[in-house]
Amino acid sequence: MKGFLKTLSPFAPDQSGAVGALYELGGVIVICDAGGCAGNICGFDEPRWRTKKSAVFSAGLRDMDAVFGRDDQLIEKLKKAVHGDAAFTSVIGTPVPAVIGTDLRALDRLSERATGLPGVNVDTDGTALYDEGQRKAYKRLFDVFAADKYPVEKGRVGLVGVTPLEVSRLDADQKAKAVYGEKAFCAGFGSGLEEVRRMSANEYNVAVGPSAVEACELLRARFGTPYQKEYPFLPDDFDVPGANRTLIVAGQYAAEAIRARCTGETRVASWFRMDRALTKPGDARLETEDDFIAFVRDFMPDVIVGDAYLKRAVPDFTGAWADLPQLAVSGRLID
Amino acid sequence: MSAYSIPAEALAALGKANVPDALRSDRHLIYSSPATLAFNSPGANGFGVKRAGLCVPGSVMLLVSPGCCGRNTTLESVRDGYRDRFYFLLQDSTDIVTGRHLKKITDAVCRIAETAKPSCVMVCITCVDALLGTDMQAVCDEASAKAGLPVVPCYMYALTREQKLPPMASVRRSVYSMLEKQPRKGNEMNILGHFAPLVDDCELYELLKGAGIRVIREISRCASFDEYKQMSRANFNLVLHPESVYAAEDMKKNLGIPYIQMTRVYRPEKIDTQYRLLAQALGIDFDTGEYRAACERAAGDFRKKRGSLRIAVGECLNADPFELSLFLIGQGHRVPVIFGTVGEANFPYINALAKVSPQTRVFSNLSPTMMTFDPAEYPVELALGDDAGYYYDDAPCVPFRDETQPFGFAGVRLLLERMDAALEVTR
Repeated sequence: MKGFLKTLSPFAPDQSGAVGALYELGGVIVICDAGGCAGNICGFDEPRWRTKKSAVFSAGLRDMDAVFGRDDQLIEKLKKAVHGDAAFTSVIGTPVPAVIGTDLRALDRLSERATGLPGVNVDTDGTALYDEGQRKAYKRLFDVFAADKYPVEKGRVGLVGVTPLEVSRLDADQKAKAVYGEKAFCAGFGSGLEEVRRMSANEYNVAVGPSAVEACELLRARFGTPYQKEYPFLPDDFDVPGANRTLIVAGQYAAEAIRARCTGETRVASWFRMDRALTKPGDARLETEDDFIAFVRDFMPDVIVGDAYLKRAVPDFTGAWADLPQLAVSGRLID
Repeated sequence: MSAYSIPAEALAALGKANVPDALRSDRHLIYSSPATLAFNSPGANGFGVKRAGLCVPGSVMLLVSPGCCGRNTTLESVRDGYRDRFYFLLQDSTDIVTGRHLKKITDAVCRIAETAKPSCVMVCITCVDALLGTDMQAVCDEASAKAGLPVVPCYMYALTREQKLPPMASVRRSVYSMLEKQPRKGNEMNILGHFAPLVDDCELYELLKGAGIRVIREISRCASFDEYKQMSRANFNLVLHPESVYAAEDMKKNLGIPYIQMTRVYRPEKIDTQYRLLAQALGIDFDTGEYRAACERAAGDFRKKRGSLRIAVGECLNADPFELSLFLIGQGHRVPVIFGTVGEANFPYINALAKVSPQTRVFSNLSPTMMTFDPAEYPVELALGDDAGYYYDDAPCVPFRDETQPFGFAGVRLLLERMDAALEVTR
């Protein structure tokens, strides 16, 4: 039955991905919910919440707000929360505005008028996965802020798509510099809005996951900045046991980085968005728990690389398991 | 922008009808700080609707929602006792508009019943179905008839949190709704209110047993569904949390079980008063002298050992922060700051605070201005509650949020022990 989970819990939703993309950029972010979604995002999907302050609020919607719309009251509350150095406002969609048909683009215009700040609303609805929220947020972010052309600086590399949900680690900015040089930075992760504004100065960009591709395409179309698809965030000591058949269950670009280290037949399966350009025969996008169970049954891998949380779905699997924590799946970070 | 606060004296002077907007959560955006995650999202820690629904022995839960609502259940699902008790029916973007997911619920329940053999299935629904106006009772009745076991709706409607029947009150009704009328026993009673038991050494147990009560039931101590069903034999219910009143009313109406309500307080004289009123209602006498004397002795010893402390009191703990502050001030300590939600129920405490500690500053955890709270402005030697501990990360903290519930004189003694231990570690 589609949507029925017997052993696994839901993965990180789109609204968490959208907040993750905007979290460090100095905006006032309003999760358009009654409180539970904000609790899930801040308390579970956004590990930076406990170490880096960010103006992320819940709209605190109540039933009458939903019944009557009351967008004006939301804008009024938003206006009160805007502080002196706020760079933008962003209303993040959840199931509540989706059900009542809130026009988030119209809210963008209303908030811009009320606060004088650019609006970066993201029309998530809580039913899609984090990568979809990231895709929408990055595209909107660069569309609004990466507008001016700067001279290209040699060695300046922008990594797009880096959030804790995508890379499952909190030292990604240091890792990026170690791999691409001191001028490399992760947009919105250890860097601020100024770096986003100056994306046109990048020598090239790196899309670290499929959710970053549209934003990188936008930058290429706007400034001619080339980009490559790479995932430089695997743990340094990550070892894949040799096997005849290896199944990698991870974000697709991470999985490709692992595939390069595998011997024998290797297949990639992902719960998240997949990039056709990198998809090989036998790879699959998983939609349901049953898809995963069937994939393992049919492919009969000797080794599975993926978050150990997934073991519970395939208790009969007797091969080796190489654990790769995935925050968006289990809520675990790489140590 | 500095964190908004108001002295207790000024707040009391304004009165409960004129609480400033900055202290009213319906007048501003909600700052879901690390201090208040559990407050703003009850499921984030402790007992939210999902875990609460599973306090019925042998039950499992089917959460029917978009994926986002079940996300933090990953934490629960790896916790002992919950691993195989959560199932999900995820709504997609079409479901949340058309409600077509409702047709799948019976099938999902039947699959769960076949494989897990639970005592009952709690069907948890969220804001989406609140807005769609779903009659989940009818859906559950149909599923129950097909699956051949009780199927009960649990309403995790965050949108209705400030209504008369908020989600945590509603789930308390749900968990007792499977009880069926049977002859009552004069020497049996239930304690309602929490999803975990009272501390084992709570004097309430001894007082009740001394008064001839032979069986005291709490849902969290019921080892089986059969034992849970025996709760309908009680002669009366003792309600220790206001959100259980609706469940108690249901049990009075449907099972003929009357109820008596008590409030958790920390001032010894108020605890004594409550026991006296309880005894009056039961037509008996309680001798609380020994318990009260031990409690007051412990408070006195603590004061003597630690001197007069400045203590920050938060609301993320097993107490009302305003009432707890009155206790601490009564013991000779000072409370410079309270992080709390001002409401009708606790305004009498604020009025009392205004008299004994007029300059105590009241902050709202939920105000966006709390992003800029500066602990240096109101130094303290001890923080009570997870939230106060978050703001005062350099001070020793007593979270005092155990699932096992403190109550009565035993609760006060436990708090004092914890405070002493926290100060000892720091020293």
